Amino acid sequence: MQRKTVRGFVAAGLGCTGLMAAAVWYSVTYNESRLVEPMDFSTYVFRPQDLPMILGILAVAAYALCLAAAVVRAAFRARRDPDSAVYTRRVDPRLGWLGLLGFLGFGGFWTYSVDKSVFPFLFFLFFGFFGFFYEGRLSHTFMDERFRENRMRAQLSASRIALGIIFLVTVLLGRGRLLGNLEYTFIAYLAAVSLALALWLFLSEYLLYHYDRDGDGGESED
Amino acid sequence: MPDFTCKLKQYRQARGLTQEQLAALVGVRRETIMRLEKAQYNPSLKLAVDISRAVGSPIEDIFLFD
Repeated sequence: MQRKTVRGFVAAGLGCTGLMAAAVWYSVTYNESRLVEPMDFSTYVFRPQDLPMILGILAVAAYALCLAAAVVRAAFRARRDPDSAVYTRRVDPRLGWLGLLGFLGFGGFWTYSVDKSVFPFLFFLFFGFFGFFYEGRLSHTFMDERFRENRMRAQLSASRIALGIIFLVTVLLGRGRLLGNLEYTFIAYLAAVSLALALWLFLSEYLLYHYDRDGDGGESED
Repeated sequence: MPDFTCKLKQYRQARGLTQEQLAALVGVRRETIMRLEKAQYNPSLKLAVDISRAVGSPIEDIFLFD
């Protein structure tokens, strides 16, 4: 994606966030939190005061659709680029900071206590984004046969470790009563699988960097 | 990986090629040539043949397996 397009999406995203925040504030202050708090839509009757929230939701949905379409289009364009078969993709190592979003997974303990929702545990997957620190260091690297071999080795090792953890957790928690409660067991399983997959994402990049670059410190030219 | 001795450096220097030039000739990165010269990387048959052609010496003289 071009820098100009990215800036446009960031600006539109900020605009949508602002619009949604204003709509939520209006609904909470003047409209009994309608469309903010969970409601029974089978008995829903439209009120003009609902319009800000409806507009906010439509704007966010339209933004998400446009963003998804742009990402897919950019991915197809990158695939057609002859460089993509020979060089690794261009990645900014600072994207690795997105891994901090993994801490949102701990929000699952809070949401579970509030409304029994366990979905946030999936956010542990974001820890895998720490791998961007290493992918960024290998950004736009020429993929010769040693690089491709190292990538396969790294992915194999990462898959082995992640599958080993998932296997172990499945065997341990498969009895369903390990924590005395089926719900707790499911939460532990969900968190463990998310963390194992995050580890797989991270290790694939970390090990590739380790195999490809370690020992290059004392390189000699001639 | 089988142990081997690599004489690539001496053949490359005899040809007056830098690691960078040889890497460009055989289509790999300079780091790969460096690893080859330190016998830390076991190349594919194709790469070994390409290298042998680039430095003008037989494969068995460049890569010596025990």
